[in-house]
This record gives sequence, C-alpha cells and structure tokens, in this order.
Amino acid sequence: MKRWIASAALLIFMIVPLLASAGGALDTINSNVSSVIDVMRDPKLKGEAGKKVKEQKIINAAEKLFDFVELSKRTLGLNWNKLTPEQRKEFVELYKTILKDAYIDKLTSYTDEKINYTKEVPLSENIVEVQSIVTTKKADVPINYRVIKKDGSWKVFDVIVEGVSLISNYRTQFREILGNNPPETLIDTLRKKVGKK
Amino acid sequence: MSYTESRYFTGPMVCLALLFSLFLVFSQAQGVAMAQERTPDEYGDVTEEAVASAEGPSIADPIEPWNRAMYHFNDKLYFWLLKPVSQGYKYVIPESFRIIFSNFYENLMMPVRFVNNLLQGRPDYAGRELARFVINSTVGAAGFRDCAKDCFGIEGRKADLGQTLGKYGIGPGFYIVWPVLGPSSPRDTVGLVGDHFLKPPTYLSSDVLDPETIGINVHEKVNNLSFRIGDYEIMKEAAIDPYIAMRDAYVQYRRKLIEQNGPEPQKRD
Repeated sequence: MKRWIASAALLIFMIVPLLASAGGALDTINSNVSSVIDVMRDPKLKGEAGKKVKEQKIINAAEKLFDFVELSKRTLGLNWNKLTPEQRKEFVELYKTILKDAYIDKLTSYTDEKINYTKEVPLSENIVEVQSIVTTKKADVPINYRVIKKDGSWKVFDVIVEGVSLISNYRTQFREILGNNPPETLIDTLRKKVGKK
Repeated sequence: MSYTESRYFTGPMVCLALLFSLFLVFSQAQGVAMAQERTPDEYGDVTEEAVASAEGPSIADPIEPWNRAMYHFNDKLYFWLLKPVSQGYKYVIPESFRIIFSNFYENLMMPVRFVNNLLQGRPDYAGRELARFVINSTVGAAGFRDCAKDCFGIEGRKADLGQTLGKYGIGPGFYIVWPVLGPSSPRDTVGLVGDHFLKPPTYLSSDVLDPETIGINVHEKVNNLSFRIGDYEIMKEAAIDPYIAMRDAYVQYRRKLIEQNGPEPQKRD
C-alpha cells in the first residue's frame, strides 16, 4: 500500500508539469507573434494602400494574441469593480484603441529584428511567462509575455520589456486619476485621448 | 513470485488509471465551472488575488513640481535639439559606422561594469568583462567590433554603482528628474557620480568642462540616440500621463536590474 502511494505521488509529480505545459504557451505565442511578423514583413504590402491593409491585418492578429479584457482587469486591479458594466466595456475598447494607436506605426515600420523564445516559466496553475530575446543590430532586448489559459487557448495579458510591465505602468497612471476622481473621469480622459488622434 | 510481480505492476497501473480518470473528471469539472463562471460575464468583478500580479514597485515623489518642470525641460531638449541633431547624424553616418561607435563606447566603459560586478560579488562576470575588453580591444579592432560575443560567445553583464548600492539593500529614496540626465534617485545619482570616475573619458583632462570630454560625451549620447529615435515618441503617445509613465518605467527598470542575478530579498523600497 505504501508503495502504491509512493508511486502515485511520483506519478503526480511527473504528470503535473506535463499538464502545466500541455498546449504549449510558448508555441502558441511563437506562432501568434510570428503571424504578426509575417504581416509586418510582407513585401507586397507597401505604400499607403498597403499600409492600411497591413494595419488591419496586424490588428486582427493582435486580437488573436491578446486578451484585452483580462489585460484591462489586471491593469485596473480592484478599481475594475468600481466601474459599471457599461463603463467596463467602454474602458476595454478605449484602452485597446490607445495601445493600437501608439504601437501600430512602430509595428508597420518593423524591419529585421530576430526573436528567440528562450523559455516558459509557469507562474500559477493557468498562467505562464514566455520569455524571449529580441536581437536588434545594436542590442538584445528581453521581452516577456504573461499568458493565461482560457477556454483551452493561451492569450497574452501583459508584456514586460526590459523588466517594465505594460500593465503595471498603466496601473500607476490610472491609479493617479482614480485616486481623487470617480471612474467616469478616467473614461473621459481616455475618450479625450482617443478622440485627439 | 508471480503474485508479487502482478501486485507490483498492477498497483501503479491502477493508480495510473485512477489518476487519469481523476484528472479527466477534474479537468472537465473545472472546464464546466470555468465556462459557467466566465462565458456569461467576462466583464464580471475581479478578486484581489486574481489581479494582484500587476502590482509593481513604487517610489516617493515629494518634489513632483520640480520633477515635472524638469521633465518638460528634457522633453523640449529632446524635440528641439537632440532629436533633430540625431536625425541629421543618422542621415549622414551609415548604420554600420554608428554600430562601430556604439561598440567602441561600450568597450570603453568596461571599468564601470568590471568594478561593479566585483562590488556585487560577481567575480565571474567581472572576469567576463575583462576577457571581453581584452578580446574586443585587440582582435575586435580596438573595440570597434564585439568579437568577444560574435566570435567567442562571451556576453557581459550590465552593472553600475546605483545597482550595486541597490543590491546592498539601499532603496532609491525618492524620484528626481535631472535636466539633461533624466530620471534618477538620490541612490542612483550617487551611483552616477561614482561611475563617472570609472569612465576613461573623465581622465582626458583635469578640467571638468574640457571641450574634448564634453564632445565625447555628446557624441556618445547622439550616437546612441540615433538608434532609438521614435521610442520616446511612442512612450509619450501611449501614455495617459507621460510623466507618470516615465517615472514608473524608470522604477520598474531599475528594480529589475537590481533584482536579477542575485539573491535580493523581496522587500519594498
């Protein structure tokens, strides 16, 4: 009986890590990021018209790569609960638009950086950090993706570049606003920012 | 014998079968529970533990008015002077030359990394920095090529005095934005001054405002910036409050540099 228990315990230890990496967070991120990069590298998509198509393709690929609701929740933290369901939906859309507007130009002008996925580190039962090194001509930049498994697929909810977490960075900024103001002020600030573009 | 053998083998088999069915049931149950929990309301409330991971380090900012003023000063300095100069420089100097210069300056700053790696109790990295310096200054054509990495695969490690002090357990103190130099803290300012004395260009002349020394520092800055034109603009464009975004990025970045490669206790500073 003791032996059974021992072997059972052993099996659990052997199987649990297998389960944790089943489905491959790293592979998912690799293929999803690759599909974004393929669009960015596509030589057919040149000029003004090509740029528009490119933008749309990148946005579609980004929708597949990111979980913007999870990203929003984790950015706001407990402040998320102070928003009404309508505000939450609007917040997610505005936040997504701000990120898209800021980064799309950089992405469409992307040239030749190489990406190496180095490893995946399980952080909890359904969260994995996929680590990568982006090699530019001048330096190596570590970029880590925090991914969560939902309904069987892995989605990114945070990107950490050189140790700087995207959602922590926004969290600090949003907290500054939410500290003395109602959630509506935050939504309004975001509306204005998106409207200006 | 056969009894014990079968006992020996069926035991684990039963266990295995049991485990698998357990896992199946468990994962299905979990799937159902998750589906029930999530699908109807993806926008539902969050719990503290579910969102706690995003909590980053923070820093006191008692002199925020000064810092904001300096932030704006640096912003204008960038857009009115540094950016146009770097753009012109980038236009005139081919990329391969700019990479050569970048390698040269990187090599020249070896003493900073060497001494700080030693101070951080990392003689292994200090040794690597020394090896890199020897290789790059000779086969690497006087530091113009990173042959140590390209030919020998020897990589260095960033190290500065502010990071060393951080590893000794000294917190950043508070946030300071210096004109020209940008985001810092009392700890990192002390580090900056200390590191200054480890930089070879400092000893070109005994005069602090020697034009040659200043020229080298400006060239290094412009050369480096020529690779990063547009990054600051994106940061600013993406931010709701660029000042806060910059401050937070600085704190997170420094914290990461201090935490990595060492047994740094997890305490807030």
